[in-house]
Amino acid sequence: MGDVARDQAALELLRVQRSRLADQMRWPWWYQSGLAMMYALVFAFPFISRFDPGIRVWPFLLPTLAVACLMQWGLTRATGIKVGFRNLRFPASGRPTRIAIVAVSLGAVFTEASLIRKDVIVPAIVIAALALVAEMALQQAALRGIREELRGGGGAA
Amino acid sequence: MTAKLDPLIHPITRLSICGLLAAGADWIEFAALRDAAGISDSVLSKQSRVLEDAGYVEVRKGAIGRRPRTWFRLTPEGRQAVEGHLAWLAQLEEAVSASARDLQQARSLPDDRDQPHDRDEPRHVLPPLLGSS
Repeated sequence: MGDVARDQAALELLRVQRSRLADQMRWPWWYQSGLAMMYALVFAFPFISRFDPGIRVWPFLLPTLAVACLMQWGLTRATGIKVGFRNLRFPASGRPTRIAIVAVSLGAVFTEASLIRKDVIVPAIVIAALALVAEMALQQAALRGIREELRGGGGAA
Repeated sequence: MTAKLDPLIHPITRLSICGLLAAGADWIEFAALRDAAGISDSVLSKQSRVLEDAGYVEVRKGAIGRRPRTWFRLTPEGRQAVEGHLAWLAQLEEAVSASARDLQQARSLPDDRDQPHDRDEPRHVLPPLLGSS
């Protein structure tokens, strides 16, 4: 019976260890700030394009994506945990959050652009600020999802 | 996936390493794995080499500046073995708790001496590999 107790204890220990691993998956301060700045740039684009109509989206979007990749690389190094790329279809657990992240970004940018075209600047600024707050909250939710995933484990335990 | 005991993964340290690598991350760095498992550097080095030799774990070594960094991940073969082993452990745990539940139920029944006593015996039988760990 000692072996059985030991096997049960092993499984319990593994749960504790996975929980410890999940707790290591935290954003460093620079990641949170970087993410906020990145979203601020994204939501500022409709305003910039209004004052400089010649500006194209690509010179703006590509550096933003490069910074995002760099931040992801830094996060992997800081936490010591590399989680795979999450697209809109996989894994299913965080799908609503990831869809919401994309929907809020696109929705906010298009709403801002439409308001700016009608010269309604203040509501456009409010939309941009709200979208930034919503994106940060959604990113936190996505991180919580990853932590839950690590805690739950990929196996039967 | 078949639930089966894997003697290579069964020792607690190797189970911890493999179980953490199977938790959902692609790669885990040496220090993060060591801290989560609560083991020493030398134990992790030794046990990861055993797992690497068995083809269960892939090791990638690199450096950032002068600091060496070692990353681990499960191979597909290792993942299959870990999932099978964890499923076996989960079955074992389920069987043990079911037996304990049955025993508790049998004890809580009124003491009826006219009834046959085989009711006190647990209905669930533990997996046959119990004693081999």
